[in-house]
Amino acid sequence: MRTSFWFPLALCAAAAVCRGQSFPDKPGKAVFQRACGSCHAATMVLGRAMDHDQWSALVANMVTKGAKISDADFTVIVNYLAESFPPGAAAASGSEHAHHVVDAGPDDEQVVDPAAAARGRTVYIAECVTCHGAKARGARDDAPENLRGPDLVRSLIVLHDRYGSTIGPFLAQGHPMQSGHSSTSLSQAQILGLSHFLHAMVDETLRGGPYSQPVNILTGDAAAGRAFFAGAGGCGACHSPAGDLSHIASRYDAVSLQQRLVFPNSTRRRRGARMAQPQPVMITVTPPAKPPVKGVLVHIDDFNVALRDESGTYHSWKRTADLKVDIHDPYAAHIKLLNVYTDKNIHDLLAYLETLK
Amino acid sequence: MKNTIAVCMSAAVLAAQIPNSPRMLDPSPDTWPMYNGDYSGRRFSKLDKVNAGNIDSLSLAWVYRIGQGGESIGAIKSTPVLLDGILYFTVPDHVWAVDARDGREVWSYTWQSHGGIHIGNRGVGVYGNWLYFETPDCNLVSLNLKDGSERWHKPICDLDQFYFGSIAPLIVKDHVITGVSGDDLDIPGYLESHDPETGALQWRWYAHPNPGDPEAKTWPNTDAMLHGGGMTWGPCTYDPELNLLYFGTGNPQPVIAGKARQGDDLYTESIIALNPDTGKMAWYFQSSPHDTHDWDAIEVPMLIDGTVDGRPRKLLAQASRNGYFFVLDRTDGKNLVTAKFAKANWAKGTDAKGQPIPDPAKMPQPDGALVSPDQGGAANWPPPSFDPLTGLFYINATDAWSIYYIYDDSDKPEGWAGNDRGGYSQSSLEAIDYHTGKIAWRHKWEGWGSRAGVLSTAGNLVFTGDAANNFVAMNAQTGEPLWHANLARSVSNGPMTYELDGTQYVVVGAGDTLWGFAMLRKP
Repeated sequence: MRTSFWFPLALCAAAAVCRGQSFPDKPGKAVFQRACGSCHAATMVLGRAMDHDQWSALVANMVTKGAKISDADFTVIVNYLAESFPPGAAAASGSEHAHHVVDAGPDDEQVVDPAAAARGRTVYIAECVTCHGAKARGARDDAPENLRGPDLVRSLIVLHDRYGSTIGPFLAQGHPMQSGHSSTSLSQAQILGLSHFLHAMVDETLRGGPYSQPVNILTGDAAAGRAFFAGAGGCGACHSPAGDLSHIASRYDAVSLQQRLVFPNSTRRRRGARMAQPQPVMITVTPPAKPPVKGVLVHIDDFNVALRDESGTYHSWKRTADLKVDIHDPYAAHIKLLNVYTDKNIHDLLAYLETLK
Repeated sequence: MKNTIAVCMSAAVLAAQIPNSPRMLDPSPDTWPMYNGDYSGRRFSKLDKVNAGNIDSLSLAWVYRIGQGGESIGAIKSTPVLLDGILYFTVPDHVWAVDARDGREVWSYTWQSHGGIHIGNRGVGVYGNWLYFETPDCNLVSLNLKDGSERWHKPICDLDQFYFGSIAPLIVKDHVITGVSGDDLDIPGYLESHDPETGALQWRWYAHPNPGDPEAKTWPNTDAMLHGGGMTWGPCTYDPELNLLYFGTGNPQPVIAGKARQGDDLYTESIIALNPDTGKMAWYFQSSPHDTHDWDAIEVPMLIDGTVDGRPRKLLAQASRNGYFFVLDRTDGKNLVTAKFAKANWAKGTDAKGQPIPDPAKMPQPDGALVSPDQGGAANWPPPSFDPLTGLFYINATDAWSIYYIYDDSDKPEGWAGNDRGGYSQSSLEAIDYHTGKIAWRHKWEGWGSRAGVLSTAGNLVFTGDAANNFVAMNAQTGEPLWHANLARSVSNGPMTYELDGTQYVVVGAGDTLWGFAMLRKP
């Protein structure tokens, strides 16, 4: 049982209130709950606050991990999540605070007050940063012995703290500070600020924190990329820089573009982008002694196959030895490349595509 | 720091009469007394009333849905434990007792949660009249088997450090073996043994060496080692003759950025053999030295009594998340086979110990590295199966690619500090010859991927799920699909089977529903 005896701020009367554990009634809620809830509790998304692109990337990742989500449902789910849990703490779910990490940690974890954390940062820089480091992860290895403070992000005093409940008593014992004063001189407001600042540092470190983004991926050689495009990559068989790829770099940020060129079949478009949805898989089924039926693949397994033909009519068959099934996956060339190209090829291709502004 | 703390060393006073001993050591076909069905982890049943010749007549016997008021509470990832005609299974914070003959609920129990990751729960352990399960908020809970009333709960980890509980406790003699999960912040993994009567800690084994041990040199410094991960969230197996407990450990931490933990990072991503009475390690084998791809080596360490070069051998096989199939001598951990069973482009080869050698170029990079398999892995927690009649090891294997990025390229990354993005995957059910690691047959699923568990039976059958929500039975010798049922959700656990009143049942979980199939036709 944790009690905030040091600063008895009863911000969270009930854990559920803190976490804002509810799903807004918006279009797509049922689709989201059905698709995501069939593998894990749907509540795993609660506390996340991300933009449309980030939700899109996360849900696409889930598809690669086995989530059964159709292209149509994909859009519905991403729209639901992006509208229900957008960036920006308070707006996220009606809660006072958006956690960075899915579902991890205790229900009663501290709700970081950004203003108090900013005040705490000032105290931290004045009194602590020399020994504990800019990110509160401890001193650098080459710091002098007497200035080597431990990692505070991993500190149990910090992790067990709620609003100063353990940091306060620790500092009350007297801890040396940069100014030469003892920590016993800190006011309660300063300690509360330090508590918020340190919890913010922990949140930043966690998966899904604000820095969970690639930093610099434009390392390739555009000329080499152009050569691969026209040569070994065989990209010109389907794409042209003046045609479907014209201005491609102004439609996607570099990370999305790299993902899309390697995994076009699992990387969905940004909302508003003019790029087409992934192209459908086409299939031709030829029953014995009957004309072939061609259409968009709806379903296939070892036992049955179904398609929708040009007129919109649905057909299905039991799969038998004499039922001929020809599948045309428009992304087959991309899948083949996964076993062919090097990381340099990919980075070069990206550098080349980046020239197509 | 002591690696093994003996809190209550009562090995000497082991009771001669352990309530479940006979049914644990040689389970009869009307029981399934633990997560894997028996201590070997083979998930093979001698039952053959349902067989390749009559599988067409396997029909639906009952359905049990866990949904409460329409809100999703997760998928059934646990394999039910069956004792005295009752199935016991879980999702996070929930336990059910259901009549194995007709799927009617006997009782249910809900834990009031204080947080933790609710990604899945693998099930229960049973000792005498008591049931044990772990909660996401770090408790080991004991219930009365009869009515689901709570006897006690004991903390097994610290939520504030982002640990959580998910595994099915294994009962070995008078030990309740529990493991821990969680890799958001940099914390050490450990395995514990608890007293089945009181829940008191008997011993704890940490997934890192003691400072000063030779293996401690696989870390750059003690601080990195003591924050180095190695969660114990996979199922344990046990060899009563050797009195050794086997399990795998999870990824090192920080997870993706390995800069501040150069070296092999023992005992992360290793297969471990422990004495269950003392928690003392007998041997280890590292499936993924210095991993940077989140490829926990917690997949079932399966015990196979096989023959090698004409000699009977006590073997242990693992199809690891990193794409490699390993066969070890389980008496001493010596490697006999290392072979890829799925696409894996991250290793430069294998060393003298049979361990893959990671290729630095395929570690995550700031600009991205195309890696196979992806973070989900070539295999994962869903249990494989071994059929001693065919001599084949069955696993849903995934060829998968993803791009791994470093997000924090500073000297002191923490937490994850990177991740994989996007991807493509393709799954097959594979039958692997344990002598060589060669694929005897491979059945490629239509669609993107299947991560279902596997059951094999003496009826020349293999049961699993495909990528299209079907529960499928295949010919164990040839891989030919013989029977299927569309369950509307992916198979989400390891299927199990049993015989009651002369009828063989096959039970499988798919999302929020437990399905009971049976051979109802009279022969």
